[in-house]
Amino acid sequence: MSDLAFLSPSLASAVDGVSPRYRSPLEHALAGAGDALRDLSTLGKLEVRRELDAALEAGAPEVVRIAPNRTLVLCEAEAAPALAAQLGAVDVSAALAGLALSGERLMRRLTDLDLDGLPAMGAVAGIQCTVLRDEDEFRLFFAQEYGDHVAAVVLDAMAGLR
Amino acid sequence: MRLPAQPGERLDRTRPLTFTFEGATVEAFEGDTIASALYAGGRRVFSRSFKYHRPRGLLCCTGSCPNCLMQVDGAPGIRACIEPARAGAVVRAQNVLGSLDRDALAVIGKIGGPFTPVGFYYRTMIRPRWAWPYYEKVLRNLAGLGRVDRHGRRTRRFDTEHRRTQVLVIGGSEGGVTAARAAAAAGEQVVLVDEGLSLELGGLDELGIEVVAPARAIGIYEGGLVPVDAGNVLLRFRAERIVVATGSLDQPLVFPGNDLVGVMLPNGIRRLVREWALRPGERAVVIAPAVEPIVDDLRAAGTEVARVFDLNERPPKEIVARGRKGRLASVRVDGETVACDLLVMSSGRQPAYSLLAQAGARIEYDAATGIFVPRDLPANVEAAGSVAGTSHAVPNLFPASAGKRRFVCLCEDVTTKDVRRAIAEGFDSLELAKRYTTVTMGPCQGRLCHLASVRLYARETGSDEAAIGTTTARPPWSPVTLGLLAGRGHEPVKHTSLHRRHEELGARMMWAGAWRRVHSYGDPAEETRAVHRAVGVIDVSTLGKLVVSGPDAVAFLERLYPNRFVDLKPGRIRYGVLGTDAGRIMDDGTIGRLSEQQLYVTTTSTGAEAVLEWFEWWNAVWRMDVEIVDVTGALAAVNVAGPNARELLGRLTELDVSPDGFRYLDLKEAPVAGTPCLLLRIGFVGELGYEIHCPSPLAEHLWDTLLERGADLGVRPFGLEAQRILRLEKQHIIVGQDTDSESNAIDAGMPWIVKLDKEDFVGKWALEHLQERGPRERLVGFELDGAAVPAEGSQVVVAGRPAGRVTSARWSDELQRSIGLAWVPPALAEEGSRLEIRLNGSLQPAVVRARPFFDPEGTRLRS
Ligand code: FES
Repeated sequence: MSDLAFLSPSLASAVDGVSPRYRSPLEHALAGAGDALRDLSTLGKLEVRRELDAALEAGAPEVVRIAPNRTLVLCEAEAAPALAAQLGAVDVSAALAGLALSGERLMRRLTDLDLDGLPAMGAVAGIQCTVLRDEDEFRLFFAQEYGDHVAAVVLDAMAGLR
Repeated sequence: MRLPAQPGERLDRTRPLTFTFEGATVEAFEGDTIASALYAGGRRVFSRSFKYHRPRGLLCCTGSCPNCLMQVDGAPGIRACIEPARAGAVVRAQNVLGSLDRDALAVIGKIGGPFTPVGFYYRTMIRPRWAWPYYEKVLRNLAGLGRVDRHGRRTRRFDTEHRRTQVLVIGGSEGGVTAARAAAAAGEQVVLVDEGLSLELGGLDELGIEVVAPARAIGIYEGGLVPVDAGNVLLRFRAERIVVATGSLDQPLVFPGNDLVGVMLPNGIRRLVREWALRPGERAVVIAPAVEPIVDDLRAAGTEVARVFDLNERPPKEIVARGRKGRLASVRVDGETVACDLLVMSSGRQPAYSLLAQAGARIEYDAATGIFVPRDLPANVEAAGSVAGTSHAVPNLFPASAGKRRFVCLCEDVTTKDVRRAIAEGFDSLELAKRYTTVTMGPCQGRLCHLASVRLYARETGSDEAAIGTTTARPPWSPVTLGLLAGRGHEPVKHTSLHRRHEELGARMMWAGAWRRVHSYGDPAEETRAVHRAVGVIDVSTLGKLVVSGPDAVAFLERLYPNRFVDLKPGRIRYGVLGTDAGRIMDDGTIGRLSEQQLYVTTTSTGAEAVLEWFEWWNAVWRMDVEIVDVTGALAAVNVAGPNARELLGRLTELDVSPDGFRYLDLKEAPVAGTPCLLLRIGFVGELGYEIHCPSPLAEHLWDTLLERGADLGVRPFGLEAQRILRLEKQHIIVGQDTDSESNAIDAGMPWIVKLDKEDFVGKWALEHLQERGPRERLVGFELDGAAVPAEGSQVVVAGRPAGRVTSARWSDELQRSIGLAWVPPALAEEGSRLEIRLNGSLQPAVVRARPFFDPEGTRLRS
């Protein structure tokens, strides 16, 4: 069995004293955007394709149920590979970008999701996202290749509210 | 000229402002609309009509007619009577040549009448056919509703906002406000949308009611979706309960001269006087039911009321309005002529039921009240106030007066005669006639012409309103700017993790599905040279990538592909062509075996999503023990190719990269430059090459290291254009470029890939059939005698007849020849066959090449 190490960015190691630079998919797009947006892309993220039992859940830092048989686990980046092995999950840390923003009004400009019915999956800025809510803060997780696009749409929507 | 302050006027006289109209300064107060300020300044002509360029003045003052459409800050079709006056606004007349008061095009109205009846453009200008574009241009300039600046850029910003509420009340009429108050009192969350015409909305926010004004509901769609035009923002409301309180609309009478400047509807008078403190005219005649409030308004403004005809008492048999230069001068009613500059007329009020009809209500004619009323409202939709059908109108819209044009539809300049003519021509159903005459299809969307046209139809066809019925109500209920519907126009685009690096290198980018990819870094030929002579790197992160695992993983792929995989050893790779049920090529890529039960599948860049769906669909059908994980975005990939590729890779990894340690079609997992990677030794571009897949956040590090450590080896990034040339030298196909939805693997020259002795696989029967039948055409390589490069899609000609087509062609610097791939008849698919290719009108001789042009034995690839 391959442990699919090539999926885990946190397994990078230093060579000749130089360790690989981790580059978030939002890093370039958010440069100079101020602190209204938080980049969560560097979090460890795991996808579990079955019901997580309570015991395992207790050990995991944050568990988000997306669909009956699909769970997103958020953790420290370094903890991802080990936790993935433990939970029988896929390390999707590299696949997903994460963005935190605040303001219901801003969210309403980005999505038609019911903001009182979160967490949920749906289109934000035209892209399929997993959306979490904590009072007035919203966290989005989505395919990293859309990072520039989502950042651009969010920044543009913020400009429209200024 | 303003009247003294009126109770409840909208003006804030302490805040004056100015804007310009046709370059001249116009004074206004905060609270004015553009039309009210212009009216105060003495302007009476506000527009020129659509077809005849007749002068038109304010008619409804409520945004329900086409009479005040103007160009405001470059945007055409703005209703000046509801557009707030803004300091510095630049307002212009539209649809005129010259000025509003002297429009050179008015000549059309004078002489054009008989020549331009309704539908004339369907009949008179259709021959000769080729001339229509010219006619069209002329007509478009003469008719119309303003001009869009086609070279202009987005000057206004439009946003979209998604809103939810329990109760949405549309319209701040009395009924609407009552409903909103009741809902709020019951503890419901209420939003009230109003066009900004209602005055009684104060104090609602204290009750927790959110008032959105000025704003207009555009329609009611499925699921309680109500888009609301709030100026710069499109509010997309989803409401559990919708209360429609759009009220009722003054219906004009139809008589000769009914479009003269100075003929107005009662509500318009009310607004002019009560809201903007304006005197609507000096001497007025009133013809309407319920005349008292109108007379009150006129008296309050100091207008002399010369004569009043109460339609409720005795409908006149004859009404004729006469004018001078388009402005009202007198009215003759039943033989009695009264001089006047203002005629306030109406046949009554019709419920503004459109939104209810859109929501699914049935619309029924009520003969007792003379109006169409909404019935059988759908669940969750209510009608409040006069829209429910509490108004009435006298059926006698058409006093039988002889005389000049009587306009049924002001928006489209359609007269009673036009409608009669349409009926005579056989357009005898309302829906057909609507499309032919365009009545109800103008900016007013039937608000002022629908009832009139139904009545006219009834009369002309000897029927009645109930039998004629209504036309289908559709959105938009209010005119809406296209920019608002378009919104911000962000197109979802995918970037690879190396996008910034490509930009920094000055790459020319191109679309590949939703991806942006590198076309070249400036010199594709030079890039191919680097790959042949030294080493090149190309970003192939866009490849689709799947991990297929589980006890049945191999059996699953065995059933999906025509290839064989049971004998694929862990650590080895095989090329695979994915086929449809009909044996047609759907996608291609590589399948590598990570372990007994894990396979790594790559797909084309643009086929990734379709392949994933295909896999998941079959997995659901076959119920095998297989898990499919899409890792396309998780992994970036760089292909390192060229004679120096081994040396470069060797510098970055501890892996044994010797020819025996890392063979052609081997797959390995190992760190490269400290990055956990999956390495595939494959060779799409025909040189020794490795495809390195790594976690996307580390891609820049890998890329930078490759370029840094390979500098002395002559490393150079290359783009898709170079890749296309290189793979063509090897006759490697690109699915979707060299194949189409009809192509199969056998005809495409890959019969070795199809294992018909396998038990079963998707498309097997079809491929068996194809095998038996023999190929109809074959995909082959060709080289041209000359240096010219045929365009993709060029014709292959054999013995003077079209016999095939070119799918790819390029100039190869390496071979110093023009080469390509083409579909040709099977008989010509032999090495050395001669054919011709049509190129710039002449025929170029070409030779079929059955084997790769470059390194046919594959020694470099396998070195
Ligand atoms: S006068 Fe402005 S829309 Fe009728």
